[in-house]
Amino acid sequence: MAGIVKPPGEFSITPHKVSVCILLQIYAPSVQISLPFPFASVAQHNRLGLFLLALTKSCDDILEPKLDELISQLREVFGVLNPRFVDHLTTRLSALSSPDDLFNFFTQMRRILGGPESCVLEDEQVILDPASNLGMFLRRCILAFNLLAFEGVCHLLTNIGVYCKEALSSCASYETTCFEDSSSNLEAFPEYENMDLENFVFKKVTEEIEARKRASERVSFHLHAPKALFDLVEDIEAPADPKSKHSDKVGEASPYVHPPNYALKEFEPNSGIFLRTNWQIQGYLQEQADALEKNGSSFSLNAFELILRQLHKLAPELHRVHFLRYLNSLCHDDYFAALENLHRYFDYSAGTEGIDFVPPASGSNSFGRYEIALLFLGMMHFQFGHPKQALEVLTEAVRVSQQLSNDTCLAYTLAAICNLLSEIGVSNTAGILGSSFSPLTSIGISLSVQQQLFVLLRGSLKRAESLKLKRLVASNHLAMAKFDLTHVQRPLVSFGPKASMKLRTCPTNVCKELRLSSHLISEFGFKSSTMTTDGAFSTAWLKNLQKPLGSAILSQENGSGSNENAFQFCVQPSSIPGSVLQLIGSSYLLRATAWELYGSAPLARINALVYATCFTDASSSSDAALAYVKLIQHLAVFRGYKEAFAALKIAEEKFLSVSKSRILILKLQLLHERALHRGHLKLAQQVCDELGVLASSVTGVDMELKTEASLRHARTLLAANQYSEAAAVAHSLFCMCYKFNLQVENATVLLLLAEVHKRSGNAVLGLPYALASLSFCQSFNLDLLKASATLTLAELWLSLGSNHAKRALSLIQGALPMILGHGGLELCARAYIAEAKCYLSDPSFSVSENSEVVLDPLSQASVELQVLEYHELAAETFYLMAIVFHKLGQLEEREEAANSFKKHMMALENPLDDEDPLFNVL
Amino acid sequence: MNSKESCRSELRIAIRQLSDRCLYTASKWAAEQLIGIEQDPANFTPSNTRFQWGSSSIRRRFRTNEITSTPIAGVSYVSTPVMEEDDAVDGDFYLLAKSYFDCREYRRAAHVLRDQTGKKSVFLRCYALYLAGEKRKEEEVIELEGPLGKSDSVNRELVSLERELSTLRKNGSIDPFGLYLYGLVLKEKGSENVARTVLVESVNSYPWNWNAWSELQSLCTTIDTLNSLNLNNHWMKDFFLASAYQEIRMHSESLAKYEYLQGTFGYSNYIQAQIAKAQYSLREFQQVETIFEELLRNDPYRVEDMDMYSNVLYANECSSALSYLAHRVFMTDKYRPESCCIIGNYYSLKGQHEKSVMYFRRALKLNKNYLSAWTLMGHEYIEMKNTPAAVDAYRRAIDINQCDYRAWYGLGQAYEMMGMPFYALHYFRKSVFLQPNDSRLWISMAHCYETDQLRMLEEAIKCYRRAANCNDREAIALHQLAKLHYELGRPEEAAFYYKKDLERMEAEEREGPNMVEALLYLATYYKTQKRFEEAEVYCTRLLDFTGPEKETAKSLLRGMRTTQSGFPSMDVEHFSP
Repeated sequence: MAGIVKPPGEFSITPHKVSVCILLQIYAPSVQISLPFPFASVAQHNRLGLFLLALTKSCDDILEPKLDELISQLREVFGVLNPRFVDHLTTRLSALSSPDDLFNFFTQMRRILGGPESCVLEDEQVILDPASNLGMFLRRCILAFNLLAFEGVCHLLTNIGVYCKEALSSCASYETTCFEDSSSNLEAFPEYENMDLENFVFKKVTEEIEARKRASERVSFHLHAPKALFDLVEDIEAPADPKSKHSDKVGEASPYVHPPNYALKEFEPNSGIFLRTNWQIQGYLQEQADALEKNGSSFSLNAFELILRQLHKLAPELHRVHFLRYLNSLCHDDYFAALENLHRYFDYSAGTEGIDFVPPASGSNSFGRYEIALLFLGMMHFQFGHPKQALEVLTEAVRVSQQLSNDTCLAYTLAAICNLLSEIGVSNTAGILGSSFSPLTSIGISLSVQQQLFVLLRGSLKRAESLKLKRLVASNHLAMAKFDLTHVQRPLVSFGPKASMKLRTCPTNVCKELRLSSHLISEFGFKSSTMTTDGAFSTAWLKNLQKPLGSAILSQENGSGSNENAFQFCVQPSSIPGSVLQLIGSSYLLRATAWELYGSAPLARINALVYATCFTDASSSSDAALAYVKLIQHLAVFRGYKEAFAALKIAEEKFLSVSKSRILILKLQLLHERALHRGHLKLAQQVCDELGVLASSVTGVDMELKTEASLRHARTLLAANQYSEAAAVAHSLFCMCYKFNLQVENATVLLLLAEVHKRSGNAVLGLPYALASLSFCQSFNLDLLKASATLTLAELWLSLGSNHAKRALSLIQGALPMILGHGGLELCARAYIAEAKCYLSDPSFSVSENSEVVLDPLSQASVELQVLEYHELAAETFYLMAIVFHKLGQLEEREEAANSFKKHMMALENPLDDEDPLFNVL
Repeated sequence: MNSKESCRSELRIAIRQLSDRCLYTASKWAAEQLIGIEQDPANFTPSNTRFQWGSSSIRRRFRTNEITSTPIAGVSYVSTPVMEEDDAVDGDFYLLAKSYFDCREYRRAAHVLRDQTGKKSVFLRCYALYLAGEKRKEEEVIELEGPLGKSDSVNRELVSLERELSTLRKNGSIDPFGLYLYGLVLKEKGSENVARTVLVESVNSYPWNWNAWSELQSLCTTIDTLNSLNLNNHWMKDFFLASAYQEIRMHSESLAKYEYLQGTFGYSNYIQAQIAKAQYSLREFQQVETIFEELLRNDPYRVEDMDMYSNVLYANECSSALSYLAHRVFMTDKYRPESCCIIGNYYSLKGQHEKSVMYFRRALKLNKNYLSAWTLMGHEYIEMKNTPAAVDAYRRAIDINQCDYRAWYGLGQAYEMMGMPFYALHYFRKSVFLQPNDSRLWISMAHCYETDQLRMLEEAIKCYRRAANCNDREAIALHQLAKLHYELGRPEEAAFYYKKDLERMEAEEREGPNMVEALLYLATYYKTQKRFEEAEVYCTRLLDFTGPEKETAKSLLRGMRTTQSGFPSMDVEHFSP
């Protein structure tokens, strides 16, 4: 930007590129050299071509391979039995001993390019099309060589010398071992043979000391667990043997763990380390960025940081490195480093480099695009849970992008603001959005946050549509669906529906938005996308090489067989870019959530299942974890804890390093639930407290977790029969939810309050709460919750006296279809019990006449409650059963029921806390 | 402080030893200090001096051993025995090598010394190799500029030098100069901790090598590392500490050290220049100017540190003096980064920013890590309204030195110019963190908070308060504080600050619109407070000014008189019937 640095050239010629040129000459010998290279088969010839293509395109690393690495790759591709390529390559390389040799070499190279006029094609002759990938590569090499000054040629020559020396010294020893132990010890040799051993070791040691120090200095700042820190450092230094590199690459489990021995490898100017082409490096960085986004926390912070630092050292003008460093520190919650790197990146690049979603500006101004910096900074603050700063920054971004008429950025910024507003709880707009929100004054300040959000969403959607930002449109639709899910279109005036039809959420709208967002995939389904870097393709091919090719070595004779094996890669992974898949995946997740809210358990489960099976590869690991969480919750509710915990174990293993919090929260939830059911109140309280601690202390952040924690707190208190405390907690929770407009949660809290009053024996007080909860459920279409509220209402009526039993019964029977169809074990059991109780308390009902009406539901309930280990209710069930049996005069059954009752009461009173292996894990 | 005489003799020997080893900068430095030692007035007669010059050089030859054996008469200083030369007579090869070295034929010099084993020869060989490597490296930096600005050229001799020197050190057959070179090599290789230890070893056994001290100083970037060094108490340590304090922005400590050193080295140009530097950082421009004028009188062909002088002249807008300086420096040595920087400053002062940028660029070509040139170039780009370029230049300055508050400040300004005040705050925060006693930084930050887009007035008030506390020269802070408090509806605070501002203006005998504003506000304020006497005082003072305020003051006075007289008249009316 400042123009002091000379604009980066495109391409520089390196020893590795000379090697590729030599191989190219083998692949396409020029006419003058009348002795074509003897290929074993046509397939082998093609294989070489593919290999060369992969070499020039792949972006799996930042450095060009050294000669020995290249040789080992060659051997892998063509098998050890065909050493001619290698021999040819090494002899040609070592023959380059003076600048003149280089000149001659490149003049020769020029001849293998087929000119446009050379239409006389001989048989068997391969002519390199100058416009093909390889032809372009060759032309660029020749051009780069021709541009070199004499000093440059000298440097190239010395570099080739070093490049050969390192590899060839190991070659002799390699020849003897390669049959038994192909491609494993390659890297160990050259370093030791080349330099003085003692010095090498000494250097290595000091290097390690320094690295260790540096690492500890830097990290200790942020991590408070010294042990973890040492593990980290250990982690980097451990793989001293080069085998690990290969195993890493093959290993499916950790495809993103970088072979750390790159990082520590000292690079000296003479050691023949060269960066790949600009294009390849950009591709590499792009891939790493995607991987970071997908499952960030499985990246080792330090290892990747070391690679980036090395890259920065080698290419100080490649500013994108800073962006990757920002992403890396963002993923590892290092606020200061993230902030620092973000600012540095945008200071250098002025937002004009490498951000893909910004198309080259129509009226490009020369003043940089710093508004993008603001957008990123805002999102960073959001990520770190600083909503206030995020909103400030994003507001500034809106202003600046309006000033500079960067519509794309504006659309994205608006979407980010929507996201922010919907995620965090903002109670009053005046403080934040008030005067500073000047660009949006047309809305008027008097609107509530929800209304503002709605208007913003509409605006953002419209903008994205007019700019044809397809992905943004899709994600805006998703945001809209989310909004529709939990918000009534018109402001809620007060409790209770006044014009009930109007004041409801609109599930059809949600479905419509969800469907619209999935339209995105059809856009990409038809035309093959240009989004995937074709480097990825080559990278995949090269990586395939690392897989054991046992059959290829054994069945060398029939070349075709082995070739098929290696051509697997021809199956293109997918033409749909990962980000699109991710979006569509999240639409399924949202569907699952929506059905969960609306109360359709099977649909929710199916959507979560679809997500878990189809989109986990493309999605970020935290989203995948969410899908698993949903499935496990479902299991817990419908199948009891045993199965849920078994599934949890699997999930924990799968998301070992990733998104710890989500799985952790789930675990705490399950533990709490079970503790409550079993009557381990102390444990329940402890778990509940742990849950509360996980939430951020900033107001408005982590609202979901906060409500959950205090809801559970209230329930624990209720279970401990501390009614007034429970009511107080629930009440304050209600106030909070009301303040932050969490209407769906309000319904739950109201129901809980009704429950508290029911338990405390104040049924009359409970009734209004139950009714209020019902009306909330109606407005938000929360059918399952409504059924459960109805059940509570019925219970309340019932406790008012036996003369209300009929009314209660009819209420229960009205809710039963919903409860039995979609409710979990606990809810069903409660409904059964309540039903039985209604019958029993009805004076006109005689047990002896139709005992099945009572006994059937009771026995059903007892089975379900035993699965849940819900001792309290189970005891009640058995008690009721015993009474019924007593009335029927079936003494044996009565005794049995009484025994069971006793057993459950005992379990309730003397909670066994020996078998809590899971809690110990905490 | 030990006697001047002993310092003098130590330095004399050291100069010889240093120049024998071709450590020219260090010997230059030592010689400057030698001349800088104040003569005792008793022996200070021309003849005496001449005699002294002669005799000392003669005496030295005979008394070398004597000096080393007698402990130096210092109270707190550890005596460091002057190093004995191992080979009394320089070998012929050594002489040849040294001549080659002096002609800058380093490799040749090293080659001549290939089989010599004397410590001096070994050092010279290694040093020559090192310099040859450095020279080649510089050339390669230009030759090898890669596609992404890769300039990873490294001194290729480092590996072999490190190997050799580490073995020598292990054997114990290394002299302090060798240790210095070893430290240099280690530092270049990035192993800073070891380098620090080695350099400390070197300066403890031979303290007169200023090169070693300055390398050590570049490795001490925090006060903690500085305090952790285990250094012998030698008077050279004071020089080191003074310079190190300056580098870590403990300017007053550094100034104190230099003033203490001036007791012995009263005529040292070096110390004077360093004092000027410290004063410059403390923004005492007047003093800096005087110092430099004197310096130039004594040493007219000096180029070092003159860029700072030009900065001062720039700040004082003395364009003719600046042009004179530029001309002189240009004639002395055109291709010094300092010279280019001075010329750049001159053009900047003249408002010719393109030319100025050109010269700053030249300075940067000559020394890519020339910090102030990057920053100044950033300022120029700001003037030219080329903010992206300015941002880039500032950022490069920061990457060279994280602690350059000017560059952070410049970045903040650039972003503020682009209408991104919130984003700019990050940079202002950085700069005030580094320089918390600079009112200008606080004021800019407050200004940022005050912008229409942010309107975070409480924060702005906090910043202005900090600015007012650190000697705000332009007296912006008080005025702004008063205004902001007024805007926020806190009349008492506003009145308090207006009054303070007024007092200040009175003390500095300044008048202007601010004065009028303050007077007017105070008059109305006291009037509403019903403290009419004070209000009247301010009103009458306002009458001295011309303009609409005068009329307002008149009407205020009139109003007050009527109310004052109104009350009794009311009373009269009340009682009359």
